[in-house]
Amino acid sequence: MAFATHLARQIINAVALLIAVLVLNFCLIHLAPGDPVQVIAGEMGGASAEVVAALRAKYGLDQSLLQQLSIYLANVAVGDFGYSYYFNQPVLGLILQRLPATLYLTLCALSAALAIGTLLGVVSARRPNGAFSHAVTVVSLAGYAAPIFWTGLMLLLLFGSVWPILPVVGMTDVVNPKHGFAYALDVGRHLVLPSLTLALVFIAQYSRLARVNMIEALSADYVRTARAKGLPEWLVVGKHALRNTLIPIVTVAGHQFGNLFAGAVLVETVFSWPGMGRLVFDSILRRDYPTLMAVLFFSALMVMTANILTDVVYRLVDPRIRTGRR
Amino acid sequence: MTVIESTSQVSAPQTDLPARTAASPGRLALRQFTKSPSGVAGACMLILIILVAVAGPSLYPVDPLDLVGAPFMPPDADAWFGTDYLGRDVLAGLIHGGRATLAVGAVAALITIVIGLVIGAVGGFFGGAIDATMVKITEFFQILPPLLFAMVLVTLFGPKLTTITLAIGGVSWTSVARLTRAEFMRLRDLDFVKASRAAGASNVNLILRVLLPNALPAVIVSATLAIGVAILFEGGLSFLGLGDPNVMSWGLMLGQNRNYILDAWWAVMFPGAAIFLAVLAISLVGDGLNDAINPRLRRRS
Repeated sequence: MAFATHLARQIINAVALLIAVLVLNFCLIHLAPGDPVQVIAGEMGGASAEVVAALRAKYGLDQSLLQQLSIYLANVAVGDFGYSYYFNQPVLGLILQRLPATLYLTLCALSAALAIGTLLGVVSARRPNGAFSHAVTVVSLAGYAAPIFWTGLMLLLLFGSVWPILPVVGMTDVVNPKHGFAYALDVGRHLVLPSLTLALVFIAQYSRLARVNMIEALSADYVRTARAKGLPEWLVVGKHALRNTLIPIVTVAGHQFGNLFAGAVLVETVFSWPGMGRLVFDSILRRDYPTLMAVLFFSALMVMTANILTDVVYRLVDPRIRTGRR
Repeated sequence: MTVIESTSQVSAPQTDLPARTAASPGRLALRQFTKSPSGVAGACMLILIILVAVAGPSLYPVDPLDLVGAPFMPPDADAWFGTDYLGRDVLAGLIHGGRATLAVGAVAALITIVIGLVIGAVGGFFGGAIDATMVKITEFFQILPPLLFAMVLVTLFGPKLTTITLAIGGVSWTSVARLTRAEFMRLRDLDFVKASRAAGASNVNLILRVLLPNALPAVIVSATLAIGVAILFEGGLSFLGLGDPNVMSWGLMLGQNRNYILDAWWAVMFPGAAIFLAVLAISLVGDGLNDAINPRLRRRS
């Protein structure tokens, strides 16, 4: 019951924050130098005074700012995020069309980072001063410091010209289109390099986090008890200690969805992955404001969703929180 | 108040030894820092990078925007690092570009820290409705992915060095704010703060003179790391074509040459490596500082 109330409160809070993002979007567009109608007219290849006036009336730009804001909010409420003149279609359709590719990439990278990062951290925590542990520390420092787009470009160079065993461009083989199972395999092959590049940054962070938490868990009383009971070591580490190590990692991972998405924008640009990142890149190039603002809104929406999901998972995993504070 | 007595003389006083001089916390932290090999290595690397960026341009006075030879010239005796897609000297770009990149990083980090400190300090100190407002503002900025938000800002307001710096500084302060707030809330009810308040210190005085110096150690590490993040952001923005085309920077070199990576790998690899080394140096220094300043956390990592 308490959980439902908590969830409801969180969702209301989320909706309020998302409306605030829309208001911010609106303000930014109006603060930006340049007349939006002139920009649209420019995109259309010039327009006469009548067309400009018609556009002004159509977008309600001849009304007061407050009226314009309410029009904008009302439009968004029915899913109208404006029209992209560069892509020549409504922004919402554009985004929904690109969303799946970005979700494949981010979720694939996230799972890889969680699995590899935790594994590296746990193994290195078993011997904190061993050679492997030091190697993991170095890798994690390097992974943090290397600019993601640069890592991507270096991998592109390696697999594009030196050792061409993996595709480096796009999501599917355009020359020989595949169907059915072969298609899925093809997408999977194209997915390897982009998701590996994106995962590297997070592997660096999670391995560090896993290492610290595992070292702490291994010195805890319940681990000593488990060992004293005579449980095999793999069960002590893999079940008892790992559970408590995972909680902070899952929390951090959930709250980093924004960074994951921003990273995807850069990685998609490097590997020409046809997702929202590519869309951002194109709309920056074309000064396609409606698309850009809608992407900002959708990224906030995704971050918000990820936060709430993390919170729910966290409460389910950690019984202290479920029964403790409200 | 800032003097900590050395606590190592618990045994009977030995009169023949000279009395230990009391060291300031800063000096103690510095001594601790020099014991971390990776921290010292990072500091040396960072000093070297800064020296090259500051003194390099006068020692190697080639204009990084000048066309000095044919495009795509591989590294050789004439141009050690080759030329880029326009025929500009890559080495000159690396040396001169470091200035802009490091300057953007430092100033943006400073903005990040100032905003974070103000929001966190005001919220944590006053509590109540003011705190609730500050928390809401922080929450709001937290749901916008910082890099994406910076992209939108630079796209809207134009890719100039000042816009880029302000955009980077203005979007990534939330962690500093949360950290500062937590420190202020922890500190504000401690006895020495109550004593200062009883002695008649004003709120401004309490925040700036009493609480801030005590909250800084917790913030200094994330301030150091903020410089690294800002450098990565500058690179990311330039990579997407949002760099200032009139000022050479490492990010701009990467962004402009990336389409020609198969023709001239050197024009992409070297500026990226420069960013990598700078951020690596900064994070090594940050780790060393963390161990030196926050001894409570030292044993954990």
